[in-house]
Amino acid sequence: MIYIYLLVAEFLALAAQEYIPALPYGARVYLLPLVIFYAALAVPFPGMLFLAFTGGFMWDALVATQVVDGTLEISLGWSIVIFAALGAIMNGFRPLFQRGHGWEIHCLLSGPLLSIFVLSEYLMITFRRGGFYFPKLIWWRIGGEGLAAMIVSPIVFLFLHWLALSFGLIPPREERVMATEGL
Amino acid sequence: MRQINALAVAIFLVVVLVLFAFSPRNTEIVQARFLGAIAPLLKNGSSLQKQIIGFREGMKKLNDLDAENKQLKVQLHELQAKDQTLQDLQAENNQLRKALEFRQRSSFKLVPARIIARDASTWWSTIKVDKGSNDGVVPDQPVLTEDGLVGKTTVVAANASTVLLISDENCGVAANVEGTRERGMVHGTRTSTSTEPDLTLNFLSKLANLQPGQKVYSSGVGGVFPSGVQIGEVKKFEVQPLEGVATVIPSVDLATIEDVFIVTGGGK
Repeated sequence: MIYIYLLVAEFLALAAQEYIPALPYGARVYLLPLVIFYAALAVPFPGMLFLAFTGGFMWDALVATQVVDGTLEISLGWSIVIFAALGAIMNGFRPLFQRGHGWEIHCLLSGPLLSIFVLSEYLMITFRRGGFYFPKLIWWRIGGEGLAAMIVSPIVFLFLHWLALSFGLIPPREERVMATEGL
Repeated sequence: MRQINALAVAIFLVVVLVLFAFSPRNTEIVQARFLGAIAPLLKNGSSLQKQIIGFREGMKKLNDLDAENKQLKVQLHELQAKDQTLQDLQAENNQLRKALEFRQRSSFKLVPARIIARDASTWWSTIKVDKGSNDGVVPDQPVLTEDGLVGKTTVVAANASTVLLISDENCGVAANVEGTRERGMVHGTRTSTSTEPDLTLNFLSKLANLQPGQKVYSSGVGGVFPSGVQIGEVKKFEVQPLEGVATVIPSVDLATIEDVFIVTGGGK
């Protein structure tokens, strides 16, 4: 059930982020990666891979993959791989989540991980189009998006977590702590 | 547990490799289906956003609306009359072209479309519009407004389409400059967005000496964009080692447009 919930959350986040206006220097506020990072904390590794797959697929289908003049700029599937790699890093902190920590891990890691994701997209288009150049604007954009993710992530985390707890999709903190400590 | 993880990774890699093997055509089909699935949500979101903005701006008074309505009717009649004149001129032009054994200019069919989402990514300048293959839209059709060129369609679903804006590095438009014989290629830069569009006109002569304010039009070369559609105005001209390069300000405000026209039928 948690997977259906997170799948719907990914879909809604993808649609909702389309309406958030751009920040200065063209930086964006992204919600879908934040949902994927939450999923990486909330579910075990195989489940994280599944949700990274669905999230990355949606991202590629709507945002990243561009077919221009009959040629593919970025193949369908690259975002899936990157989300899975970043999700694996976040999933490594799952024991802390099980012990009752949550939004602070999500907040601290979402910024750098999102910046890595955006940077990897830029590297891919640079590789594809040629012309290796990194003006300041690029770094402002990459850093700005990471910062925006860190600001927004507690809201996303607390909202998703509150809903998941309300519907009994994940056990409450006490149960998770007891399960972790083998009580 | 480790065995389950290893199995999950194996399945994951196999499925991703299958996706990597998708041809551009299959990728377009997948994208079109997904866009079709999410389009109703985007349309509703767009309507909701407009309602919120409308609520914030306050309701217009009935008198204002009445006056605006009358003014719009007058404008409509004017435009209908102009349209008729232009159709006559086009027919005459085609007759003359035929006499000179030139290819006939086909008339455009404009499909009005509303923007339902814009600028969803950092590195690509795209918008989504609410018209798709059900309305006769296909990939690579020009999109414009009354002010000038906006871009071209890429992914087309049944009820929505993605438009690649002229501010994107991948969207090249063959162009010529008003009052000169200069021809070049207009395209966005890698850092360009619809809010901060940055267009350059390349492949000009080093002696072009373009002046700020000179208008840039599509030349029709390449077959996607019709000729004579305004792209923008020259902002500055620079001579580089191999060519002359002009910076162009787009004539359409790509960040605020709400409605566009897709050129279908004989637009190419």
